[in-house]
Amino acid sequence: MALKYWWLLALGLAALVTVVVVLWRRRTATNSHLPVAHAERLTALPAYQRAVKRRRTWLTTAVAAVAVLAVSLLVAAARPVTERTSIPEQLNRDIILCLDVSGSMLDTDEAIVRVFAKLVEKFKGERIGLTIFDSSAVTVFPLTDDYDFVAEELKIAQKALSVDSTSFEYFAGTYEAPGSSLIGDGLASCINGFPAVADSKRSRSVVLATDNLLAGKPLFSLSEATSLAQKADIRIYALNPNDYGADSLFGKAADGLKKTASVTGGAYYALESESAVPAIVQKVQATEAALLKGAPQRTLLDNPGWPLGVALVSLLVLLTAGWRLRR
Amino acid sequence: MTTLLTGVKAKMYIFAHRRARGVLDGEYASIFRGRSLDFDDLRDYVPGDEISDIDWKATARVGTPLIKRYVATRRQQLLFVADTGRNMAATSRGGDIKKNLAVMVMGVMGLLAIRHGDSVALVHGHGASTSSLPAKGTESHVENVLRHMDASSLEHGSSDLCARLEYAASHIKTRTLMVVIADEITVGERLAKVLRRLNAQHEILWVEIADAVLAGPDAVHNADGVGTDVQGMEQVLLLLASEPELARHYAQATAERAHGLAELLKSNGIAQTRIGATEDVMKQVFALLERHRRAR
Repeated sequence: MALKYWWLLALGLAALVTVVVVLWRRRTATNSHLPVAHAERLTALPAYQRAVKRRRTWLTTAVAAVAVLAVSLLVAAARPVTERTSIPEQLNRDIILCLDVSGSMLDTDEAIVRVFAKLVEKFKGERIGLTIFDSSAVTVFPLTDDYDFVAEELKIAQKALSVDSTSFEYFAGTYEAPGSSLIGDGLASCINGFPAVADSKRSRSVVLATDNLLAGKPLFSLSEATSLAQKADIRIYALNPNDYGADSLFGKAADGLKKTASVTGGAYYALESESAVPAIVQKVQATEAALLKGAPQRTLLDNPGWPLGVALVSLLVLLTAGWRLRR
Repeated sequence: MTTLLTGVKAKMYIFAHRRARGVLDGEYASIFRGRSLDFDDLRDYVPGDEISDIDWKATARVGTPLIKRYVATRRQQLLFVADTGRNMAATSRGGDIKKNLAVMVMGVMGLLAIRHGDSVALVHGHGASTSSLPAKGTESHVENVLRHMDASSLEHGSSDLCARLEYAASHIKTRTLMVVIADEITVGERLAKVLRRLNAQHEILWVEIADAVLAGPDAVHNADGVGTDVQGMEQVLLLLASEPELARHYAQATAERAHGLAELLKSNGIAQTRIGATEDVMKQVFALLERHRRAR
């Protein structure tokens, strides 16, 4: 709590003191009261003593109210502010969850969806979208900040992706082309999910969960999709549950993902189990947040509430006292 | 230079338009009808006696001034006993300053007295000091008496009418028609005592100059609602006067005081009047003289 124009308070108090002194001087200078004799006829009465006491009380109240009113108004005029230096965390992110729903990925997908279902509760301003793909991509829901809807959708997705699920309706439309895990096409679709570059102030990222085990002929290769992402300034965070080292069968596939992630400014995470997903998503969030931190900003928060409140109360007291004194 | 007396005369003509001054003269004269006490002796001179009453031959024989008593009693003396302290510079019921009313009363009665061939004397004072003016029968002397009354101001000492009465009791040896110019003093043992003593020697008329009303609907008002009690020069809140409860208590207290004084004066056979404004002076003085004549 600080006073922005503190000198105004000093100035006002000085003026107040001057006014009081001048009034006092003038009061003592002009002593033109009505001379009356045998005033003890009145002053000796107990009723008079009571009335004087009552009047004195109200006068004291009125004077105190005036003083409080003046000081509180001065304080209000001096503009009490709370100064706060803050690094504004930008909440204007767009995130698209890009989930490979081929059989091998379902467990990981569920974990990711579960984590995001939780994160959405804390979202404020971020937009999130969900796209699933296998041989063809389906937009489950586009980028939106309707969090009630998102939560609802993520719940449905979580259910459909879980092991207990027997229905494959959820995945309808992901087998429209021959092949499986057409990752280039999937990623390109996800990238297309972002609006045109007009709104460049929003950061864009894709959480891509895939093992990059390509089977079939995609329209876009992974590198082509990656260059699309680069052009649109989209970071890709790749989560690979099937990374067993460079020597293994999957080593080459993982390399492709790693490259994609690094050239777009994102990151690559090898998942050892589904339980690691929350930690990794947190890490993604943290990286994003760090990237989005703006310059420290000094904000001044006016809080004129309490001095003005005090002024109002003292004004009410003053009016009451004035009314009592006038009678 | 007789400015005060001129003012009194002018007012007499204004306010006495219904009652001829001749009537008043008659009232005054009738008070002393048949009042010729035939003491044919001499006594010592005391301050306040007319110089012309001194029996110079007897004085020369004895060595101390002696007064021819029977001459003095034939010529009546009108003695004003007035306090010229701060109280008389305060506000009267009518809003005028009380001393102006006193000057008017003393002027009217003084003029009547000297026109009748009587003399006028004054016992006055403020604070701790009391003094007197000797009895004389000239207009310039009446003017001088009025001047002393008019000198009363807020710079004067405090008022103490009892002290003036006590002075009169101890210093005035002649029998006089004593007119006490009082205000709303409270009745006490001291006043009762001095009145008893004076009443044995003098014919007393009591003129009360009514003080300003301090509470109730008729209370005095000024801009800031603050008065000064001239006794102690302290502030008195007059704004409070409009409070009904206070007004009731005040009216009760004033009525008690007035009743107490009336009882005291009645028990001594003293006629009294109460004057609140200049326009009442003529009427009230006339009524007072009338009452006194009938009471005898």
